[in-house]
Amino acid sequence: MAYKGHRINPKRFELSQLKIICIVLPLVIFMALPIIFIINHAFKPMEELFAFPPTFFVRNATLDNFTSLIKASRTAGIPMSRYVFNSLIVTVLTIFLSLLFTTCAAFALSKIRFRAKYVLMDINQMAIMFVGTAVLIPRYLVISFGGMIDTYVAHILPLVAMPVALFLVKQFVDQVPDSLMEAAYMDGANDFQVYIKIILPMIKPAIATAAIMVFQQVWTNMETSNYFVNDDSMKTLTFYMNTLANANNTVAGQGMAAAAALIMFIPNLVLFILLQNNVMNTMAHSGIK
Amino acid sequence: MKKEDRQAKKQKVRIKPGRLARREAVTGLVFVSPWILGAAIFLVYTMGSSFWYALNNIRITPLGRLFSFVGVGNFTQILLVDTDFTPQLVSYITSTVLSVPIIVVFALIIAMLLNGNIKMKGFFRLIFFLPVIVVSGPVMGMLTEQGAATISTIDTQAIGSAIGSFLPTGIADAITDLFSSMITVLWYSGVQILIFLSALQKIDGAMYEAAQMDGGSGWECFWKITLPTIKPMILLNVVYTIVFISGNEQNSIITLIQDSMFSGTKEKGYGYASAMAWLYSLVVVLIVAVFAALLMARKDVYERQVRKAKRERKKEARLVKKIERRGIRNARKIEKARTKRKYSTYDGSGDY
Repeated sequence: MAYKGHRINPKRFELSQLKIICIVLPLVIFMALPIIFIINHAFKPMEELFAFPPTFFVRNATLDNFTSLIKASRTAGIPMSRYVFNSLIVTVLTIFLSLLFTTCAAFALSKIRFRAKYVLMDINQMAIMFVGTAVLIPRYLVISFGGMIDTYVAHILPLVAMPVALFLVKQFVDQVPDSLMEAAYMDGANDFQVYIKIILPMIKPAIATAAIMVFQQVWTNMETSNYFVNDDSMKTLTFYMNTLANANNTVAGQGMAAAAALIMFIPNLVLFILLQNNVMNTMAHSGIK
Repeated sequence: MKKEDRQAKKQKVRIKPGRLARREAVTGLVFVSPWILGAAIFLVYTMGSSFWYALNNIRITPLGRLFSFVGVGNFTQILLVDTDFTPQLVSYITSTVLSVPIIVVFALIIAMLLNGNIKMKGFFRLIFFLPVIVVSGPVMGMLTEQGAATISTIDTQAIGSAIGSFLPTGIADAITDLFSSMITVLWYSGVQILIFLSALQKIDGAMYEAAQMDGGSGWECFWKITLPTIKPMILLNVVYTIVFISGNEQNSIITLIQDSMFSGTKEKGYGYASAMAWLYSLVVVLIVAVFAALLMARKDVYERQVRKAKRERKKEARLVKKIERRGIRNARKIEKARTKRKYSTYDGSGDY
């Protein structure tokens, strides 16, 4: 609306921005509620956690929840660093593999003509709308049949094929102008080069968005740890945090759960801050007139 | 796989495709093949076997899984006997159909606001996105427990009674529910805002400049440039929203399916849950199809242009009339002013 011709972040505050800020600011406060709540909740002492009516803001902030969390993790047989390591490996590999597969597939499905293309898209569409929990047992059978129980593969494989991400990336690849690719083919590029040098840079925002989505799914996923992994030392941090909060008595567990929620939330925040400039990367230099 | 494909092509297609087309097909398959592999194992196979389970009654015993084929028995039981499933499904449908447009429109508005030049744009963007992370985690349960996710009951009831006075109860209830869960509905819109933002960024600024040169207002620019350009993204967002709402852990049908999956009763169990899941996903597909049909509706181009031209002509005629009337009015005004102030403008008669 307030279009001014250039998409450069303004250096200075102008009076004309005031009306937009007036609209956005209340919404921002409203949207920030859950975050403020998590942060506040983690620092609440015991009596405030169970106060009725529940309070939103913390009055006497303490670090008790965090210390009890650390204490509980010390008494456990397996050090916490092991879980952190597991989670890191699983998350990084899953994000990398699923982004690689989805961008490849999206490029082919959108820009290359071959048979069975539309059938594949339909299968993907169908899979998007299917309920994840319903395929739990077939999934388990596949994994146990492949001898993947108690390995990292069991964490990674079920999440690599993410239909929603493919759908999202494909929508963006569709918008890459054909003439750009044709120009590259004219100059002697092969398909792989077109994929690397043209498609990938052009759909950077989609990749960043998909990365955030995949990360969220992997990071908060407990299904794989619950069902596909028996060995405690192969489970992920999310699972560990959850059991810590639940296994101890529920009253003390509440505080630890709040602290764990904050700890699990921070990587999300960091990743988003890192990626958000890519999300906004403009296509202003697309070179097509 | 590739060989078979090629052979099938030879048999079916009479005109043998050229070498170039064949090469393209091969590279296409090469690019998709990793995805196909994953999808075949973890999507197609699992979905297929869950459909087979849906037709069976499965009991898990120490000896293994016991299958007994019941045909459509599970489905009829869910639809005719089960007292939980159908009402929940109906309430799910109404709430989804109502909340999807709200989420998408809200996301579009926010994205357009954030697309402008505001200070601290990045910070605002961050805030708008973050609730999604929270909502998809276990924290959401804590929040709803504390009552932070609903507007307090008094307001909701006032709204509900106001709406109930002129709408049938079924719809009024759904709208009241929507109001009470409005906060969560808006919290769901993070990814949609991101998608819209990246789509908005791609619109060429020169188009707006050209439109402004020709005297287009901001409103016109929105309808004629912004909306048509981001139309595919709107469809994408609608689909994403529906899927997100349907697959969410907060969704009551999902918990219903999970409960019946692990319940040890004779008639429920895994087959029953699979049947439920299939019914449920069928409904989701239907909802998506309806929305997609609405958004992709495109009449014949010629017909559309004829209709547009007609409308345009009418509008023009109205404008001409308006200008004429204004001219007459202005002439009268000038006449009046002239007689009042006793001075005359040159009226072409030659004498002053």
